[in-house]
Amino acid sequence: MTKKIKLKISARLSKKRFRKQSQSSKKHCRFCSSPEMRQKIDYKNAAFLKGFLTERGKILPSRISGNSCLYQRRLAKEIKKARSMALLPYTTQHF
Amino acid sequence: MVRYETLVLTVPEITGDETKQVEKELTQLVEKNKGSFISFDRWGKYRLAYPVKKNEYGVYFLARFETATSSDLPKEVANLCKVKLNNIVMRDMTSRLADDASLAYQRPPSLEDTPTTRDVRTFLRENKMEGLLSTVDGNKKADAKPAEKAVEVTEEVEVAEAAAPVETDTADKE
Repeated sequence: MTKKIKLKISARLSKKRFRKQSQSSKKHCRFCSSPEMRQKIDYKNAAFLKGFLTERGKILPSRISGNSCLYQRRLAKEIKKARSMALLPYTTQHF
Repeated sequence: MVRYETLVLTVPEITGDETKQVEKELTQLVEKNKGSFISFDRWGKYRLAYPVKKNEYGVYFLARFETATSSDLPKEVANLCKVKLNNIVMRDMTSRLADDASLAYQRPPSLEDTPTTRDVRTFLRENKMEGLLSTVDGNKKADAKPAEKAVEVTEEVEVAEAAAPVETDTADKE
């Protein structure tokens, strides 16, 4: 008789495996390939930067937006500049 | 030579004279420090992302100038905005422009660019609340769409009226 052996995988690992399988295409940085997009990273261009904020006004992580490390840093810097000039919110209003 | 730009946020109730004063003070300061003034743009009135000095609105100005590399001009401009123009200027930020950067830039649309008064009917239609359209009084100011609907209705009535006598005519002939 053969014994059935259950492989123990932690919930975290199984989630990670599921995530790896479900990702159909790898995310790519939209700034790396085009210089025109790079020029848009500017604190004055608040309408564009607003796309990189969450509903609460936090900066969207690169794990979600897919930005490369270099442009994520630049983007974050410009967003912080725009925030200090009241072009972008630090947070949504508290109720 | 290095290019700088200063974004100035002023109080919403700034007058034309005060605008000229800000521009004059900045140009004088730049010329005093042996720099050259490039441009002074009025962006217009904006709704701020958060209240600054208890003001919900503000007016933005963008000034650009050029000086020698070892100049103290950016600090001087900050001092001017914070001390002399304290009553008008709420926030200011001077940043260095990249050497190869073009002077063209994009700014968010101001309240003066976009029309503030909106039609009730268009608002209802955009937000998918067409059921409430009947509750709004049918004024002549309403858009083309309700007018078209009204025309269609009248046409149907006319057709029905026209169709009825035709049948009676044929019946008479028979």
